[in-house]
Amino acid sequence: MTTGTQGWHADPELLASYLAGDLDAITGASVEQHVSRCETCRTAVSHMLEPQLVERTWAGIRDAVERPPLPVPIRLARRLGLPEPTAVLLAAAASLRGAWLVGAFLSLSFATLAAYVSGGTALAPFLLVAPLAPVLGVAVAYGPRQDPLEALVATAPFGRTRLILLRTIAVLVSVLPVTALLGLALPGPRWLAAAWLGPALALVPVLLALAGFVGPRVAAAVVLLVWSSVVVASTRGGLDPAWPVEAAQQGVYLALAVAAGAVIAVRLGIDRQRGVAL
Amino acid sequence: MSATPIVTDAALVAAVADGDAGALRELYERHGAWLHARLIRRCNDPEVVVEVVQDTFVTLWKDARRFRQEGEVGAWLWGIAFRRMVSRLRSRKDVVLIPEWDVPTAPQEVLPSAEELVLLGVEYGDLGAALRRLSPEFRSVVQAVVLDGLTTKEAGRLLGVRENTVKTRLHRAKAQLRTALTEPQEGWR
Repeated sequence: MTTGTQGWHADPELLASYLAGDLDAITGASVEQHVSRCETCRTAVSHMLEPQLVERTWAGIRDAVERPPLPVPIRLARRLGLPEPTAVLLAAAASLRGAWLVGAFLSLSFATLAAYVSGGTALAPFLLVAPLAPVLGVAVAYGPRQDPLEALVATAPFGRTRLILLRTIAVLVSVLPVTALLGLALPGPRWLAAAWLGPALALVPVLLALAGFVGPRVAAAVVLLVWSSVVVASTRGGLDPAWPVEAAQQGVYLALAVAAGAVIAVRLGIDRQRGVAL
Repeated sequence: MSATPIVTDAALVAAVADGDAGALRELYERHGAWLHARLIRRCNDPEVVVEVVQDTFVTLWKDARRFRQEGEVGAWLWGIAFRRMVSRLRSRKDVVLIPEWDVPTAPQEVLPSAEELVLLGVEYGDLGAALRRLSPEFRSVVQAVVLDGLTTKEAGRLLGVRENTVKTRLHRAKAQLRTALTEPQEGWR
């Protein structure tokens, strides 16, 4: 049906004016349609394009292809709009690794299971674990021993405070939804499902404020101890299992959170130049 | 001397799917240049074109598996490249070129019209002239859908009109071309 477009090839002159953009659109379009289907003419075009341009483009392709893919958490953080260096720093936190998250999830699950099986009387395990999971996560998210990038972080012109807060937020984002979901499975009144949030959100700033003085490890130990004694004492003392998260106590947590926030703010103000408040 | 390549494009794509970077390079050498040339006619920012060509081959590297063996590699690559460019330029209307069909910019003596017709695979009627008689709205639709291979939806997005408008215009443009091409040859069959 065609007279055979196979035998015909665009002559060099025609291709040159095509590449130079000198052809009108219809002629250009027809050259294009032919070139895209004709091996000989495609090769001819390859020889006519600037070699530097060809190589420069290839260099970019090679780089992209050879670069190892970024780990999932970093890609996730990038997707959320964080710049890549920040994402890398963030993902280096020990508590953002899979193992830690799985551990937190498992202990929370067991605590929930205990509460569920006991019909709400054994609430202590859940109330003990739920606020501590984010606290411990934050505590191991930074500090010289936990951070493989510590040497880099210490020397980089990147606010340490900013990094710590960023990681804290990342930990909260990764732990809180799981806890919230599990909380929904708790027997008893509906408000219980969210009640653990009060101590959880109070203990994190307390930890950060303490860590500024004594370092994250000691601070974590102190917070852990205090919270455990509150929960255990309330159980031993024959109080209602939900006592640690009742309304009056929530007020105390709020006050604690505010106080801790104030301490951090004041120290930040003092140490602004050095950025080492936390 | 057309040095017929021993390895077909499709085989190279299959090799790329297996992680052969050498095959990627070979495909780039075969297709990079004409893709570049074709894109530069549609975008007046050379940097964007370089990036789009790079994107295209990086996509090829990642998605080589998704190539259907019976298809044509060139057409597939063009589909990736042009869609990349359209989506990249959505926010920058200033650099998109809808080729102007009226201006014969260079000395046209280079090109006998017989060749033009062969190129278009049309053996009767003057398609070039018929295309030139289309209104600008019709031309841009023919350009985007028929020549550049966008779907009517994508063309609508590129041209800033609704998909149905693209369909209607395309339909009318085709009808107009058909009339223009067949009328002078009435009784020729």
